[in-house]
Amino acid sequence: MKTKNHSNLKLLEEKNNFYKKLLFQSPDLIFEFTFTNEGTIFFPFLSKSVITHFDLTPEEKDKPALEILKSKIVPEDFITFMSTIYESKKRLKNWVHEFRAVLPLRGLRWYKGIATVELEDNGDVNFYGKIIDISEYKEQEIRLKLSEERYLFALEASSEGIWDLDVKTKKVFYSSQSMKMLGFVAIDTIDSIEMWSNRVHPDDKRKHLNDILLHFNNVTPYYENEQRVLKKSGEYIWILSRGKIIERDSNNKPLRVIGTHTDISSQKEKEENLLRTLQIVEEQNSRLLNFAHIVSHNLRSHSGNIQMLLNIIDDDNSLENLSENHAYLRSSSNALTQTIDHLKELVEIQTVLVNKKENLNLNEYLAKTLDILADEICKNKVTINNTISKNETLTYNPAYLESILLNFTTNAIRYSHPDREPIISYSITTNKDTKILKITDNGLGINLERHGKKLFGMYKTFHNHKDSRGIGLFITKNQIEAMGGSVSVKSEVGVGTTFNICFNE
Amino acid sequence: MSKFKDVFVVDDDKVYHFIIKKLLTKNNIDVKPSFYLNGLEAIEEIKGKIKLGISLPDLILLDINMPIMDGWQFLDELKKTNNIVDKNTTIYLVSSSDSISDVNKAKEYQDQIKDFFFKPMTAEDLWKIF
Repeated sequence: MKTKNHSNLKLLEEKNNFYKKLLFQSPDLIFEFTFTNEGTIFFPFLSKSVITHFDLTPEEKDKPALEILKSKIVPEDFITFMSTIYESKKRLKNWVHEFRAVLPLRGLRWYKGIATVELEDNGDVNFYGKIIDISEYKEQEIRLKLSEERYLFALEASSEGIWDLDVKTKKVFYSSQSMKMLGFVAIDTIDSIEMWSNRVHPDDKRKHLNDILLHFNNVTPYYENEQRVLKKSGEYIWILSRGKIIERDSNNKPLRVIGTHTDISSQKEKEENLLRTLQIVEEQNSRLLNFAHIVSHNLRSHSGNIQMLLNIIDDDNSLENLSENHAYLRSSSNALTQTIDHLKELVEIQTVLVNKKENLNLNEYLAKTLDILADEICKNKVTINNTISKNETLTYNPAYLESILLNFTTNAIRYSHPDREPIISYSITTNKDTKILKITDNGLGINLERHGKKLFGMYKTFHNHKDSRGIGLFITKNQIEAMGGSVSVKSEVGVGTTFNICFNE
Repeated sequence: MSKFKDVFVVDDDKVYHFIIKKLLTKNNIDVKPSFYLNGLEAIEEIKGKIKLGISLPDLILLDINMPIMDGWQFLDELKKTNNIVDKNTTIYLVSSSDSISDVNKAKEYQDQIKDFFFKPMTAEDLWKIF
């Protein structure tokens, strides 16, 4: 038995040696580490690859284990390293730990140690394990973390939202910024496509869908669409939505699309303001050109008449015709003077102190206007409906306000309907920073389809009225626009007319 | 003496009416034009004449810029009423307008109008017409 036991032991030792040799040659960084009952530590086994990898010289190899570890592990990581060893030893728990080491040739590297912990009969604790060089993986992780941080910072700084569409499930990841734009709590959310698409303004839906299809069908390199989107509060905001397919299936059908949401409301507002200004400038330009033609036409016409009348007087200076000839000459001269007065009035609008603005009580000015027109109002039995609050004020040029109120009121009386007593209503509404004065009458009305374009033109009259000069609305519109406002009209023949005057204070 | 008997002058300028009358007399052109202050007055007169079967004017001197109904609108309305007017009536535009748009627009109406005169009209212009 003794011999058998002995031979068995020998066999076991041979096997053990064989495995040790094998392990020694293994490319893996394999180690055995012993924590003795007395508290000392040493490496009973280190594979060849450990020795070469960590550049251990023969002298180093024979040094105490603690010294070897201390010389290789980065000082900041050493204490944590040792405390995890103690912890595993204490609890006999498998050891897993990531640490850094500085090597003479390889420099700073990241490692992961894994070991099984076993308690021996003599009270020693053995760690059997291996070391993995995770430097590349760590670098990637750090790079990824950095780029993620950079990306998150960029997102926050740019206040852009992110969306990520899974085409198959039709589920969309909406980033917290996207949710915030809609007025919801700012947390990342996964929801349906419809959560967003149902909020797109009806007038923008068609193009929105079309732009997506263009990209899905490879017509456009990326998807881009400007859309109005309904906020939780019921308001619309302008969003620029952009995206790109990042994954397609074998049939080239999109699987995943990622994109951004940008709030472009203020940009849109500026754009709209610019367009409005441009439109006013264009209108003013075309009216000034028209004005130049009319002035040239009228000056030519009056001066031509004067020239012809003088010829007539030269030819026929008989007494009986003299007074008639003179009367026509005077009439032409008056007309010429009036044309020049109108010209002067218009030029003044463009050059007069538009900056001369005062805080004016609208009701006081309306009362003044109605006072001037008291005779007309009484004669025509005009009813005035005024719902403007007593305290309503306007920062405006006083002369212009007077002229505007006088002109619209005079027109409302002048073009009243012969079959009914005139009613003129005044009201004011506020839209954002703009006050809108509404003047409504129940008069003759204007055929806007026919005369709409010429309504505010110079010397344009649309009713056969003895006092029609076709200058009032032209001057008034110029005054309103010179102050940065606008005027619009609604009218129905036989029913009445409403003028909306927007005051841009 | 005049090749035209029934002449319409459509112009909102009463001084111009007076001048035309004087010019015609001075140049011995024997016509007594009817004067209208805008296109609407003239077209209503013509419509009335058509209704009653009365002969229509054989000459119209037409201004462009007039209130209520301008020269162009008058020509449009005229076209709608009766083709006979176009065939038997000679129409001249007489205007102080030098705007290119008016001159270009006159070309669009060249099947209805014979010529375009600038104001003030001279004796030579009248001789060309009458």
